[in-house]
Amino acid sequence: MSSEEALKKLYDAIFAQDVEAASKAANDCVAAGLDPLKALEAASKAMTDLGNLFERGEVFLPQVVVAADAMKAAAQVLLSKLPTKPSKAGRVLIGTVEGDVHDVGKGIVSVLLDAAGFEVIDIGRDVPTKVFVEKVKELKPNIVGCSALMTVTRVGQKAVIDALAKEGIRDQVKVMVGGGATTGVWAEEIGADAWGEDGPDSVRKAKKLLGITE
Amino acid sequence: MDYLTRMGDGRPVRMSKEQIKADIEAGTKDAAEKAHVPELSGAEQEHLLEIITDPNRLVAVEPGREVVLTHDVGPLKVMADQSNSGVSIPCSREQAMCIYEKAFSADTAELGHIDYSFKPVKPIITQEQSVLQNVLHMTILPIFYGAMPNLGLYYAPDGPFPEPIGLIKDRKIGEAKESMENAAHRFVEDLEYITVRLYEVGLDALNIDTTGAGGDADFYASLTATEKIKKECPYLCVEMGMAGEFILGFHTELKYQGVKLAGLWPHQQASLAEKAGVDIFGPVVNTKPSLSFPLNIARAVTLVKHCVKESKIPIHVNMGMGVGGIPMYETPPVDAVTRASKAMVEIAEVDGL
Amino acid sequence: MGDPFGMPIAHCAASGMGGIRTAGDMVARMQMLRYRLKDAKDYVAKKLETDTMALRDEFEMRRLRERLNIGTITGVPGVARGLEAKARIAEILGIRINAVERLKELVKL
Repeated sequence: MSSEEALKKLYDAIFAQDVEAASKAANDCVAAGLDPLKALEAASKAMTDLGNLFERGEVFLPQVVVAADAMKAAAQVLLSKLPTKPSKAGRVLIGTVEGDVHDVGKGIVSVLLDAAGFEVIDIGRDVPTKVFVEKVKELKPNIVGCSALMTVTRVGQKAVIDALAKEGIRDQVKVMVGGGATTGVWAEEIGADAWGEDGPDSVRKAKKLLGITE
Repeated sequence: MDYLTRMGDGRPVRMSKEQIKADIEAGTKDAAEKAHVPELSGAEQEHLLEIITDPNRLVAVEPGREVVLTHDVGPLKVMADQSNSGVSIPCSREQAMCIYEKAFSADTAELGHIDYSFKPVKPIITQEQSVLQNVLHMTILPIFYGAMPNLGLYYAPDGPFPEPIGLIKDRKIGEAKESMENAAHRFVEDLEYITVRLYEVGLDALNIDTTGAGGDADFYASLTATEKIKKECPYLCVEMGMAGEFILGFHTELKYQGVKLAGLWPHQQASLAEKAGVDIFGPVVNTKPSLSFPLNIARAVTLVKHCVKESKIPIHVNMGMGVGGIPMYETPPVDAVTRASKAMVEIAEVDGL
Repeated sequence: MGDPFGMPIAHCAASGMGGIRTAGDMVARMQMLRYRLKDAKDYVAKKLETDTMALRDEFEMRRLRERLNIGTITGVPGVARGLEAKARIAEILGIRINAVERLKELVKL
């Protein structure tokens, strides 16, 4: 099998959300003498393309989850051939702020971040501000994501930022905000580091915050 | 020369005519590509440009082109005390309905529960019947009863079924689908129970609002409920308002009358809604806060125009904060609101807002 | 969503029929029976024996509403209010209004 064929099979397997085929295609890439990093690029492109289709309503959440599994299966094979293993893209702590029980959007963002290679720790909905702070201290994430659907609850995002500052750990973590009631203006006003407009945008902004190129 | 317009988050911004024109083109192209619908014609884009660059603070439709306004969120816009809608006027719901009729010159008014979800109405249905009776005696305009399907209330910890997004994350996709189906069926039972009792005391119309917020199961539940309600309440009007521009696929396999629901765009949603028995359909196009008003309104008008053209029932486009080209801001700037209003009427040719 | 001045009032000023200031309530009732906008206006105009331009005109409709006794936005002693106005609207438009039907049944009219 040529290198091109092997790369195409890998891309197709992930795009088709076929975990078994993705693992096999990754092995074929290795057998074809391909650089594992180059094969990983093809695998990532399949995930990016699926993300674009998700944004257009042509691919849906369960499919993204299974594609992420296919991506992980391929990555497991490819990473084992590298002399030094790259770590996860970064650790993200994510939750819906105090007083807000909505978590559909936050759920989508955490699935997409996971699919993009982040380690995601979802601490649920209606999370008290002090729990955000405790978890940041305990788990030392690179990013903390605060979701809020309603304008009446989004003040909880500011409360998290203020509490992190009060504890003297604001500069140790990037803060992202998102959710139906938020805008870029709001994010700027409360001193967040980034605003995620929707799921795919949140992944792009998280990568940007950590200096990861697409 | 430049013109004062807005960003999608409400911020004032000055743009040249060329910039506005480019954003209109980009907006209509984006909508057309994503939903596979026609772009706005050159003349329609030119008309939109004229509306946006009108030097006056407020604009309005040509006399004779006025449309019917139906209203959602019940009396909450008047009474509720939350920053995204209510202005916390202390009054009864009966008084709020009169305010709609006599102070807002509304064509219809909507009664609703403070939670604005159907599930909590069931245990207090007699209270809702009494208030509705009062309102029907006092007012002349048609009275709707509205709330959201909000399937989220049927999932743990608020309801009996496991939370499906968590199950999907745990790769328990079959269990997630089962949970969504169970929630949909329970919602259909609840809505039927509530509607029959409101109809008994004289309700004019039901508004199933923000349909699809919980994905394809939510839309499926609303369509199925409509079909049942129309059989039991043949003279009741049913309006269905959407939550987003396309149906999110959480279940992904649910179908209604043989049509897969996930990923449907407004024109496709309206067609199914009509088949289910819906009498007035309210499409939604989400405003993107980081993009300009010209781009957002061009996107919205493109999607809604095709929906109006394809539909057999009246289309009342959602034009509230953050939808239909209106900026996502708690006090929507009236320069943008009136421009969006005029554009939807004169270019998309909606039956109402 | 949005405050009343930014939403219902702004929309009504820009493009609304005008509710019971004009004939907005009646055109709405026809849309509830699936009439598209033009058909709904034509139907109401015909039943009121006027033209569609009058349906959105405050001067014309105020006089017509008083004459037909179907309710006005500002109080006029003796002119129909609430359910009484709705009963007359149902008759003029030749449509069924649920609350009116219920009343008729209850009082055996």
